[in-house]
Amino acid sequence: MTPVIQLQNIHKSYGSTLVLKGIDLSVSPGQIVGYIGPNGAGKSTTIKILIGMLPDFTGEASVLGMDVKTQSLDIKRRIGYVPENAALYDTLTPMEYLQFIGQLYALDPAHIDRKALDLLRLFQLSDYANARMTTFSKGMRQKVLLISGLLHNPDVIFLDEPLSGLDANAVVLVKEIIRQLAGSGKTIFYSSHIMEVVEKISDRIIIINQGQIVADGTFAELQHQRPESLEQLFAQLTGSDGQTGIAEEFIHTLNN
Amino acid sequence: MTTLILWLLDRTAPLFRALDADYGQLRAIVQVKLIMDNRRNIVSLGRYGKQSAENNNSFVRILLIYTVVGVVISLGMLAIPPQESLFLPLTLQFSYIMALCAMTLISDFSSVILDSSDNQIILPRPVGNRTLWLARVVHITSYLFGIALSLSVGGVLIVGYRFGPLAGLMFMALSLLSAVLMVFLTNLFYLVLMRFISEEKLREVINYFQILMAVLFYGGYQLLPRLIGSQDAISRIIDHQWWHYLVPPMWMAATVDVFVKPVLDVNHLIFAALALLMPVAGIWFMNRFLTTDFTQKLSDIDSERRPEATAFSAQQSPWGQTSWLEQLATWVTTNSLERAAFAFTWRVTGRDRKFKLKTYPQLGFGLAYVVAMSFQGGSLGSSGFFYLFALYFAGLYVMVAQYQLGISDNYKASWIYGSAPIQTPGAVLLGALKALILKLLLPFYVILASYILYRYGLDKISDVLLAFSNSLVMLVSSALLSTRYMPFSLAPDALKQNNTARGLLTSLILAVIGFSHYGLTFIPYGVWVATPLSVGIFFLLLQYYKKTAWSAIEMG
Repeated sequence: MTPVIQLQNIHKSYGSTLVLKGIDLSVSPGQIVGYIGPNGAGKSTTIKILIGMLPDFTGEASVLGMDVKTQSLDIKRRIGYVPENAALYDTLTPMEYLQFIGQLYALDPAHIDRKALDLLRLFQLSDYANARMTTFSKGMRQKVLLISGLLHNPDVIFLDEPLSGLDANAVVLVKEIIRQLAGSGKTIFYSSHIMEVVEKISDRIIIINQGQIVADGTFAELQHQRPESLEQLFAQLTGSDGQTGIAEEFIHTLNN
Repeated sequence: MTTLILWLLDRTAPLFRALDADYGQLRAIVQVKLIMDNRRNIVSLGRYGKQSAENNNSFVRILLIYTVVGVVISLGMLAIPPQESLFLPLTLQFSYIMALCAMTLISDFSSVILDSSDNQIILPRPVGNRTLWLARVVHITSYLFGIALSLSVGGVLIVGYRFGPLAGLMFMALSLLSAVLMVFLTNLFYLVLMRFISEEKLREVINYFQILMAVLFYGGYQLLPRLIGSQDAISRIIDHQWWHYLVPPMWMAATVDVFVKPVLDVNHLIFAALALLMPVAGIWFMNRFLTTDFTQKLSDIDSERRPEATAFSAQQSPWGQTSWLEQLATWVTTNSLERAAFAFTWRVTGRDRKFKLKTYPQLGFGLAYVVAMSFQGGSLGSSGFFYLFALYFAGLYVMVAQYQLGISDNYKASWIYGSAPIQTPGAVLLGALKALILKLLLPFYVILASYILYRYGLDKISDVLLAFSNSLVMLVSSALLSTRYMPFSLAPDALKQNNTARGLLTSLILAVIGFSHYGLTFIPYGVWVATPLSVGIFFLLLQYYKKTAWSAIEMG
């Protein structure tokens, strides 16, 4: 099967700091890939390269068989992206915002209207469909953001911390949505800090540390190497072992 | 207004398609931007004040003011001179339009041009660079056209009335082209700036540029009436020089001149060609070559900020700047709460761009105004008490800064005042006020005083001291009289619009104090005696201010 996402020897630097130091990666259709790593490891940078937002990298990157550097517009039409920091135009109402996003994909306005209303209803936001988002909670914004990333029914979906701010019920719902999306043949590339979630829903887990992939495989495979929880494995691989000791020191410093 | 702009936009859709943009996307972006402008208090139009709920009122108000100003200037310059000597007045008209457009672009719209918030929302969507760039240009130009039209409407009517409707229409068309040309030049300016300065510095530089522009803008108001005043100077016929081809307002003026005289010689033809072709060529050129570069640079600004920030704080030694500031804080404050507020205010006022943008231009204008007035040969500038007037008048501008102190974009962080066990909020207010005095008021007065002393003689030192002390008294009184807010605890648009009454009262008191001071100058040693008294009152008031209780403070 031809890979949906293919990265070869990707290097990327901001100024003089090298953020990605040779990422090699290949993802087949229908996979849910959990992409995890400590803050500043290069997770978001990888995703931004894949969706064509950062064209000045070295190496080969392709999504859906198209070159990220030359065909980014065509790629963007077929992928969905949900950014991490809830960036949306919050002076608009959800309907206005989704209408706007839909127009950027050249969807039919009446069609967007119907679809957006339905999706908002399913996320229990019907009552707020025409309220300005300035007053929305983080979870409500995140729901709108999720809808805006999926509205055009993309084939590959990039999620950056998609569950942040959501309440427990919504987390269950979104997890189930992700699973069913993958079941229908879509590819999910998903980064998060919440290990339990990554552990449960990912077909494949990739751990990145300081711009390099340090582990890659299914959870079972990773467990085979070191039979602890993903959390412990993560701590070990990213070199922040011994958190218990640090916690003790923290308490000690507080007491002084 | 949004509907009107979109209607006009739809009429010109083929143009954008010809420019290789996706019209549907472009329209969607422009529409959303306009809707958002209407809803929020347009920060980028900060100078235009508060926006009301769902309309462009304050922008419309600005346009009305511009219309009035435009009519007055046009009446002064275009109504009288005979038609053969209209070239220079026309040039001045277009200069005025272009200057205002450029200043509006740089001081109010740079946040729109350099808006990187679009990066997260629009860049991941299938929107081409060209479409996004054109959408921005349309968004900005729609405002600029409003400004250019309101400024030129007087001129259009006068020229149209005197020399026929064709000349009037030409005037109008060229005003719009001037706006387009300015969009091109400003974009070019930013690109050049981006090329030579590292991106992380760019916002800082632009901030200072905005401040400078604002000062020039206010200063321009001082200069202009005098230009109008010297009627014979502008109506003289100037000889044609080769470098006139390099002055854009002259292109426009000459093109109107063609219809005014009417005349058609080689000179005018060249000018007309430049006037008509340059704006179009500029837009085409940008569209063709510079758009990719521009959006690329923009997304860099965003992504590069974080790593740079960490590098910066790592470099800064913990004892560098901190220690002298802490030292200063211990000297001027009496308890730790006050000290904390002092250092906090000192740092934030130095780093918050919005704060700087709101206050520094006012201070700069205070200085510019004083200097401009002192050179004016008229009644006030040469009168015996002008330097006193200047000293007190400038004091008004410092109060604006005090007013801004309560406002911040990060107003949400003010929860800390609620959760921390602060018993005497007055100490926080006092610390903040002291920081403001030392950081802004003192340097401002030193510059002002140096100028006054240089120009009116060293013996005015006593007056300067008393005026300074009195201004401090005024500052504290005004802080005592107005609603008290914790520093940086208010959303930018939350401030109630009650400043008119307060401003009137303040100026009244200021006038009373100023005239008393003037009276004191006639009594031997009167000023010297009054100064310690004034200083005493100042410290007394500070004590009152420090006693501010929670009940007297309004939280945002």
